[in-house]
Amino acid sequence: MNQIVTISTGQLLLALVFILIAQASSFIYHLGLNRDITIGTLRTFSQLFLMGYVLTFILKTSNPLLVMSVFMVMVVSAMFIIKGRVKEKQIPYIIPTFLTMLVSYMATAFFVSGLVIGMTPWWEPRYFIPAGGMVIGNSMSALAISLERLFRDMRQQKELVEMKLSLGADYREASLDIFRNAVSAGMIPSINAMMGVGLVFIPGMMSGQILAGTDPLIAVRYQIVVMLMLVGSTAVSSVVVMLIVRRRCFGSGEEVLLSPH
Amino acid sequence: MPPLLEIRNISFAYEGSTALVFDRLNGSVQEGEFILVKGPSGTGKSTLLRLICRLNQPQGGSILFQGRDITSIAPAKLRSAVSYVAQIPQMIDASVKENLLLPFSFAINAAKPRPGTEELTEMLQKFYLPDLNLDQSAMKLSIGQKQRLALMRALLQKPLLLLLDEPTSALDHESASMVFSIMERLNTEERKTLITVTHLDYKPETVRPLTYTLAHRRLNRLL
Repeated sequence: MNQIVTISTGQLLLALVFILIAQASSFIYHLGLNRDITIGTLRTFSQLFLMGYVLTFILKTSNPLLVMSVFMVMVVSAMFIIKGRVKEKQIPYIIPTFLTMLVSYMATAFFVSGLVIGMTPWWEPRYFIPAGGMVIGNSMSALAISLERLFRDMRQQKELVEMKLSLGADYREASLDIFRNAVSAGMIPSINAMMGVGLVFIPGMMSGQILAGTDPLIAVRYQIVVMLMLVGSTAVSSVVVMLIVRRRCFGSGEEVLLSPH
Repeated sequence: MPPLLEIRNISFAYEGSTALVFDRLNGSVQEGEFILVKGPSGTGKSTLLRLICRLNQPQGGSILFQGRDITSIAPAKLRSAVSYVAQIPQMIDASVKENLLLPFSFAINAAKPRPGTEELTEMLQKFYLPDLNLDQSAMKLSIGQKQRLALMRALLQKPLLLLLDEPTSALDHESASMVFSIMERLNTEERKTLITVTHLDYKPETVRPLTYTLAHRRLNRLL
């Protein structure tokens, strides 16, 4: 049972049948997706193989500096994705968000790899990189949602916030509801994932482990660690980023800096 | 005794604009005065009030409240003493009572005496809102009723200076005269210091306000 069945190149190409089906559907029904499907397929192959080679190299050399560089590249990429989604020009949020991501993801990946799984060294790439990748990927979406919500609500509710300020509220009191909504909007997807896991869907990591021959009960334990890690890291990074960025929405006189669109 | 409020050489331009709204503007307010600032829209009347309570920051000059530069006063402390009522009244999605008691949910006002139901009901009468129920939702009120509630709410935290930004601009004639009569009474009976800006040709009946116009980026006294 623990035998890993490898996929030969021929078998891999056989899987392209699925793409042919998708292409045929697009062609018959004029969905206009043929070009995107082709590009998507090529990118899937090239990006994943590239990553495979990089990971093989990293696992072989096991150099902490290299592991940290890969981690850094992942965080920087995540930051760019967030920047692309959160269209905010007035309030500088990128540097605090980036630093919070770096510190909190590093702490989470260290906690999981070094303490929960108990790897020595703690940066053992086989655990540290996938753990880091999952935390970054998940929390990145949460941060993008939270930031978008924060800026949107601060703009839409500017008059309400100013009314509270005018009645003696400090900036925290005046924006308490907006802050709460922004943080919880980011956290809800990972909490919902905890509700549906195992019933509605089998998470990718667990499926991968099972396909690779791991005992499902061991895979389950890993998956539980991952789910908890994702909720925790999302909570910490969202709260910290929202605290810092919210302050930046106010000036030195605790006045609202965002102007309505 | 320093004046209650002193404006010294204030210059202001909106963010991203080089056009000055105020150019070395000066003015002062003594305790108990009723100041009326008139002028067409777009001359910066609202901005002047917003600068006094720091909802906007000037590019130059300084504003002193009780002799102290307002930038050296904690913003929440300043705003509980200098209360600004916006042109469009804002209510939280809650009852009339919760809206009126909102200032007391903020740390700066926590030690101030909280009005009881009886006091609030009495005040509603004085503000021409006798039919209002303290438990009804504030969101469904007319804009005229909301404006009077907003005024009441600002007064409940016992400010030393009240800044009223076009308090009647969104109101019909009847509601507007109610608000004007409340303002005048606040000044004559309760000795409140008020600065009201308006683009209307309002002539108070019971008080003689100090009237200014805003023109050429300065305040000009009307005699």
